[in-house]
Amino acid sequence: MYRGQPVLRFDRIEIPTGSIVGVIGPNGSGKSTFLKLAGFVEKPTAGEIVYNGRPAAPFAPEVRHKVSLMPQEPFLMKRTVLNNVAYGLKIRKDLDRLETRIQTALSWVGLDAKEFVKRPSYALSGGEAQRVALAARLILKPEVLLLDEPTASIDALSAQLIKDAALKARSEWGTTLIIASHDWQWLYGVCDRVVHLVRGRLMGTGRENIIFGPWEPGANGLWGKVLSDGQRILVQKPPEVLSAAVIDHAAIVPAERPLPKANNHVSLTGLITRLALEKASGDIIGSVLVANLPFTATLTESEVHEHGLYPGRRVHLLYDITSVRWF
Amino acid sequence: MDFLVQGFLRAIELLFAGDAETFSAISATLVVAAYSLAATLAMGLPLGFCLGYFEFRFKKQVRVVVDTALSLPTVFIGLVVYAFFTNRGPLGEWGLLFTLPGIAVGLTILALPIVVALSATAVESMDRLLRVALISLGANRRQVFLSTLWEARLSILAAALTAFGRVMTEVGIAMMVGGNIKWQTRTITTAIALETNKGEFAMGIALGLVLLLIAFTVNVSVSTLRKRY
Repeated sequence: MYRGQPVLRFDRIEIPTGSIVGVIGPNGSGKSTFLKLAGFVEKPTAGEIVYNGRPAAPFAPEVRHKVSLMPQEPFLMKRTVLNNVAYGLKIRKDLDRLETRIQTALSWVGLDAKEFVKRPSYALSGGEAQRVALAARLILKPEVLLLDEPTASIDALSAQLIKDAALKARSEWGTTLIIASHDWQWLYGVCDRVVHLVRGRLMGTGRENIIFGPWEPGANGLWGKVLSDGQRILVQKPPEVLSAAVIDHAAIVPAERPLPKANNHVSLTGLITRLALEKASGDIIGSVLVANLPFTATLTESEVHEHGLYPGRRVHLLYDITSVRWF
Repeated sequence: MDFLVQGFLRAIELLFAGDAETFSAISATLVVAAYSLAATLAMGLPLGFCLGYFEFRFKKQVRVVVDTALSLPTVFIGLVVYAFFTNRGPLGEWGLLFTLPGIAVGLTILALPIVVALSATAVESMDRLLRVALISLGANRRQVFLSTLWEARLSILAAALTAFGRVMTEVGIAMMVGGNIKWQTRTITTAIALETNKGEFAMGIALGLVLLLIAFTVNVSVSTLRKRY
């Protein structure tokens, strides 16, 4: 709950064992809360979380040693790297081959044990601290590993090492990964499924385009929102002035030239910022910046070739206003 | 000024000669300080942790009460403890009046709000992510409690040190509840008060030097501990 309002509101989400699930959404959409609940760090105010078929709660023995969350800020205790990494094993009284396991965990995240084990946590850089925090979780071989923005605000090398280590955990031990990140290019590349969290609600696959109000009434009974470059996003009358419009990625069609105004169809012009391959479907996900608003469109290989689409290229997008949904 | 210099020299003599009366007061002081600190930390740390860690109704009001108790006058505590332990008092049959444990009870009442308030502040100021990190690494409730205290160890050490300083230098409770009985309940501070009234500066200074030495030793030890991380 935040200011009397629930942070998350959805009926159900199921995460299969051994899968990689990505969670994307704007800041404040409830991603961190979702991970804290799924990581059994906090209790939901309503509803229940089922683990392996049984309802479970924070501190429950069936989840305490199996599910581990790495928060966005890599909190390390005021101890040496060794004691931070070994903490989880020590409280489990699992001290067998401790030194070797610490070395292995650190090597997974690209840290040399000899150099780092005696170093106090305050003497680490942001990227190193994040990697030590991940090593402290990897050493536990968790069944479920939840990563909250694991690559935000760290250097590129650390980010890559963290990504590799997380995926290695999945491939070696079958660890289920739940990753919240703004790096959707990475998520679409590695995840079996990506969910989109907006204002605490789950919005399908994460490729929906969500445009927040306020909306203004315009000509012909249509409503609109004027973007910073003067283009207008047109929609049918919204339920409320502040409602959010949802345009499905599949409802957006790219074109090389401005398209003639057709019934119910609106054309927008933007710049391709990224093209990413979605592992599961083989689709190409295109990100197009229209004024200051990012749009996502699903493209086929032939569309990309046919229109000669590449990042930096100006492109025209067409959508049907009757396909716009509201929430 | 001569009497001060002479008093100082005589004090050194008393200490090195192992004067029995002086060492009796030192011993009594250390005993009551140890009793009261042990009781204060045993009760104060869990209470301070709960006050700083958990959110509950009337938390602010409880905090105000604890903060108010920080400035309880020692003579008032002495009076109340005396009233409870005197033969006519509700705890008179315990026979604690004019005993070292009796003084320790009064000193515990004095030091408890210090440890509760300062450890609550220490726990409150801990990063909220600590709890998330500990639970994520598999800690149970007891391990969360102990690890949080360990993380706040420097601040809690400061709280204990403050309480120790207050207990060691207290006069009112020791005088009223202990009665300043020679060889029995005479502590360093009550002895200094008495010897000063008698004009016996040497013993007063000797005992004062011991107090300073104890404070110095404790502070150096704490400082060394701090440097270990």
